[in-house]
Order: sequence, then C-alpha cells, then structure tokens
Amino acid sequence: MQLLIEAIGFGIAAGAVIALGAVGFSLQFGISSILNITYGSLMTLAAYIGLFLIDLGVNPWVTLAIAGVVVGIASVAFHRWLLAPLARRGTRPFAIVIVTVSAGVILQYVILAVAGPETQSYGDQGGQTFHFLGTTLGASQVAIVGLAVVLMLALHLLLTQTTLGRAMRATSSNRILAQSCGIDTDRMSDVAWLLSGWLCGATGVALAITTAGFDFSIGQVFLIPMIAAAVLGGVGQPYGAMVGGLVVGLASELAAAYSNPAYREVVAFGILIAILLIRPRGLFGAAWATRRLMA
Amino acid sequence: MGTRRSRFGTLLALGVSLVVAACGGGGGGSAVPTQTGPLSLGVIAPFTGPAAQFGKLLSAPCVAATDLINKAGGVMGHQIGCVSIDDTGDAADAVPNVSGAIATTSNFDMAIGLESNTAATTVPLVEAAKIPFFTTNGLTQFNKNTLQYYYRMTPGDDANGAAFADWAVKQGFKNVAIVFQNNIGSEGNLPGLASAMPKLGGSIAIQLTIPADAASYSVEVARVIAKKPDALIWSADPQTTATFLSNYKQLNNGVLPAMVTATDSLTPDFFKAVTKVVGINYVTSNIWLVGSYFDQTTPAFNTYKAALLADTKTHDIAPVLSTVGPPAGAYDGINIMALAMIMAKTTVGSAYNADILKVVQPSAGAVVVGNYADGMNALAAGKTIQYVGVLGQPAFDASHNSGGQFSATKFNADGSATLVGTMPGAEVLNLLG
Repeated sequence: MQLLIEAIGFGIAAGAVIALGAVGFSLQFGISSILNITYGSLMTLAAYIGLFLIDLGVNPWVTLAIAGVVVGIASVAFHRWLLAPLARRGTRPFAIVIVTVSAGVILQYVILAVAGPETQSYGDQGGQTFHFLGTTLGASQVAIVGLAVVLMLALHLLLTQTTLGRAMRATSSNRILAQSCGIDTDRMSDVAWLLSGWLCGATGVALAITTAGFDFSIGQVFLIPMIAAAVLGGVGQPYGAMVGGLVVGLASELAAAYSNPAYREVVAFGILIAILLIRPRGLFGAAWATRRLMA
Repeated sequence: MGTRRSRFGTLLALGVSLVVAACGGGGGGSAVPTQTGPLSLGVIAPFTGPAAQFGKLLSAPCVAATDLINKAGGVMGHQIGCVSIDDTGDAADAVPNVSGAIATTSNFDMAIGLESNTAATTVPLVEAAKIPFFTTNGLTQFNKNTLQYYYRMTPGDDANGAAFADWAVKQGFKNVAIVFQNNIGSEGNLPGLASAMPKLGGSIAIQLTIPADAASYSVEVARVIAKKPDALIWSADPQTTATFLSNYKQLNNGVLPAMVTATDSLTPDFFKAVTKVVGINYVTSNIWLVGSYFDQTTPAFNTYKAALLADTKTHDIAPVLSTVGPPAGAYDGINIMALAMIMAKTTVGSAYNADILKVVQPSAGAVVVGNYADGMNALAAGKTIQYVGVLGQPAFDASHNSGGQFSATKFNADGSATLVGTMPGAEVLNLLG
C-alpha cells in the first residue's frame, strides 16, 4: 500500500513535466495542423540554454522562463519562415512531418557539435523535501507540479475568457471562416507558436532539473511520452494533453512499482493503446481532431 | 614467323606471370603478401549517440600506440593511422558502418574496440574480413569460441560480476541491492553476481533492471530503500546514475548507499556528472570501481601513460584512462599485432595472425619486451621476444581470451583514480558456476 501511494505521488510529479510538454505540442497541432517533431530538439536546446545560464549563476526558475522565451521566439521563426511557407505551397502534411524530423535531427547534432556528448547537470536542484500522504517529493518537483497547474489554468483562462483566446480557437476550428470574420490568422498562429514554444522551452529546463543529468538526446527521449500524452488526450486538445500527461506519468510509475522497471514504458504504452481502443479519439478528442491527424 | 615468335613470347610471359602469382598467393611458397602505403587501424566504437564517450576513450590507446610505433619508424616502414569507425552503440546500426569501412578502407589490417553493445554483429564482420582484432567486449558468449582473428585481454562480464560480489563482501557489504541498466554490457554481470554472492555468504536484497535516462527513478529507489541494503552494486551510464542518486538522496533523507560499480565508470563524464549532483565527498569515499587489475609501476605502464600524456588529443584524460583495463588491453593489442607483422614479415592480417600468439609466448631465452620499439629492435637482432605489456603477461586460452586479475579503485578529488585493492583472478573465477 505504501508503495502504491508513493508511486501515485511520483507519477503525478513525472506526469506534470510530461503534461507541460504535451500541452505545448498539442496546442501547436491544434492551431496549425502541423505535427512538429522538432519540438524534442527544441526542448534539448532549452536544457542547454538553462545550463549556460545556471553556470552563470542565474536562478533555475528564472532560467526556465528565459529559455522558454528564447525557444518561443525560435518556434515562431521556425513556423513562419519554414513550415508555413511549405504549407502554403501545398506540401503534403506527411512531408512537413519529415521536414520537422529532419530539422530536429540537424538541431540535435548542432547541439552535439557545440556542447559535446558529455552528460551535463544543473547540480542538485531537488531542494527541501516535502512529506505528505506518504509520499516524499523534492521542492523542485512540487514547484514543477505547481507550475504545471498554474500554467494550465492560465491557458484555460486565455482560451476561454479572452478575445485573443477565442480568436485562437476560431483559427483552430476553421481558418478560412476565421479570416472572413476579420481575425488575423497569421498573427494567431504566431501567438500559438510563441506560447507552445515557451511551454516547450520551459519543459526542457524542467526536465533537466528533474533528471539531474542530461545530454543532447534529452528532448528526443521525452518527446515520445509527450506525443503519447497528446494522442491519449486527443491531439489538438490542450486539456486532454494535461490529463494524458498525468495518465502516462502514473502508468509509468505504477508499472515500475509492480513490474520489472526495465519495461515501465512498455506497460505505460500498452495502457495507452488499450485506452485508445476504447476511446479511439482520445480521452477528450473531437472527431475533427482525429480527422486532421489522419489527413 | 615474326608474328608466331611474338605470340610465343606473350604466352611465355603470361606463363611466367602465372607461376610467379601462384607462388606469391599460395601458402606453400616463400613469398609473403605485401602492401604499400600506410596501414589503417580501425577503432570500432560508438562515436555518435549516447555512448559516444566510449569512442573517445577507445581512440586514446590507438593514439598512444600509433604515436610510439610511428616514432619508431612504423611497421617495416609503414606508418599506422587510427580510423574511427562509428558503430553508434547500436548492434543493428553498426552493421552498415562497419561493413562499409571494411570495404572502403585501404590496408585495413588491424582493429580494436568492438565493445559489448555491438560485438554480436561487429565481431563476425571483422572475423570474416580476416582482420585480427583485440576486442574490449565482455560478452560471456565469447568466453568459449572458435574465432580465428579474435583476441580479448580483459575478463568476461560474468567474471566482472563475481568480482563485484567479492569486493562488496570484502568491504563488509553482505546484503546488497543490484541495480543495472538494461543494456547487454551491464546485464552480463548478473550471472556472475548471482553465483558469487551466496558462495561468499552474502545475499541479494533486491535486483532491479532499469531503463536508461528516465525522468525519475523514485519508485525504483523506494523499492531499494525498503529492502535496507548495505550497498548498491550498480552499472549504468552517467546520466542514469546522476538521476538515480539524486532521487535516492531525496528519498533517504540525504543518505546515500555505498556503491560498487565497474571501472567502465572511471571516466571524466561519470565523475563530473555524479559529483555535480551528489558531491565530491560521496564520490571519492563511497564509490568503488571494480575491474581488471594491472601493475601501475611497470616500465610498460610508464611508457603507455607517457604516450597518453604526450599527445594533446589524450593528455587531459591520461590520468584516469591509464588506470582502466580495456583501453590498456587495446594498447597492448596494437603492439602485439604490430610485432606479429614484423615476425611474419607481412602486414596482411590473414598472414600475420598466426604469429600473434608467438609474440606473447613465454620461452627460454626470449627477450621480454614491454613496448613496440624494444620488440622491433630485438626482432631485428634476430632474437625471440616475449611481449609483457601494460596488462602484464597475456595468457590466451584456446578461445584467445586472457582474463588476468581484478582490482578496486576509488576516485580522487581531481577525477583521477587510486588503486585500493586487488583480487586474484583464480579467486574470482572460482566464484563462477
């Protein structure tokens, strides 16, 4: 029973990081219909920006915000000057995915060339420990869970309570109709890529804090569970991605607790497939989201 | 007539050419196959991907050995160059890279590396190409083999596992937790550990295999802590180690367990990553690194270390690298292959391979040499040589494996290492099976 409680606590902590990244990934897809695999390498970039700043003495949480801004701007540039023109020229969605895979590989190897293959670390950022309900979590884990909750709430309010959010949702639903209503859909895309890029960068730094050690492959390694969380929640559905992240995190930790930990991800992804068999569009997916993914 | 004479002359020349070629290519003739130009020494190791650090580490003994060989005039006038062949650390991805290198590299006559993660696919390729190679892999599947061009100067992983257990019990750790990363090299230690612990009166509190590079190992750590082990017997990459120990520290009120791990971790990467997370005191006081033993006071060792220090490419890692068995075995292997070439009077792998065992064969009246230059000079003087290198006297069995003794080392505060104990090879091997 003790192990179960601990696994749930650790699962929530792990799920919070996955959810942060999954929400950004899902938001990008929702607004632009682009499955951006470069997202993983951009997380890696953020982790190394974080390392540079932390080595200069910058507070890790300030670093997280700064890395988020840098990656957010890079994401906007990447979309506006590479992906959007390709889409406008009628490039097939599958080809655009390959472009993002290629760009991700290039970025990853540029990072490798500059930073080297060695394992890097921000040092021990765990901080004070908190014991509650039979679980022990470090201050950084609690902070990341809190950050995830706050950001999700902020995103929810943005999307539902502001004109900007409503314009973004309109763009996501029907770009042509949104344009005919006077919405600057290009600007909405920029905002969505900035926001999702910020989440991507923040997740990269959060991952590096959580793992304590990382190298140039960190983003690619964790992109897979994030995509899984996004698919589980219903691609294009930020709220679904939040829940998907938690499910993936919990499933992985529970698998590690009650089976051979070597297969923790196998169990987690097995659960994911089982859920998708029951709910093909994901936990919160609308029919259009699935259709767009399959297009 | 003129035409007939000319035709006869052509046929005669052709006949003579065929006879000469037959003598040169056949085994029974006195001529030996020859090559022109520099020789290529393949360093088959990961140079990209998560294990890229190994490529750098395995290149160092190649740099040291070839620097010395080339400085001595090369092998029968041939200079030797190190050729990096990226096996990527993945057995499947290694195949096209190694096959391509074999097909396109000129004078590819010797190889080192072929580490555990890729040996299953790379060893057959190099063997088929008839290129003698000294491997650093520890796979138990090679403990008994019939390969002709294969040589290994470090123990199999099962023997390493038994050495872990031996050292842990010697330190008073009788109830251990075994946590290994799920790769072929780490898991190869398990059979030896499982066999040795009960024989030593010890027990295994818990045994876990974990995936590399997870976001957190909190659950695994909780399972280990619940079993209250005396020590952790550990094998994983630096990133996984840093994450696991960070979680352990968090969940165990800052208290970390003693750790026995492999000398594979005796790298700047491991030292830097783990020190940054858990502090220098723990790393220098509570981590023992167990692996092949060799005497670090011999002239052969001094030559090896001096060569590592002398080259700017290896200078920085020389203090640590010179204390690790597998790279030292690769260095010895290069010297042995080069001396075998001189003995056989040919640089072609298929021809000099038979002389490799003769280079290390103890015999009355043989001149004992510990480096290439001394061996070359003794052979030039018409003497018989016996190579006793950095790892001591090689004793190859029928499968071309030479195990040796075991040692435990600890990190110093500057990342270098200090020998803290030894274990005779026979003592460890008795704990197996």
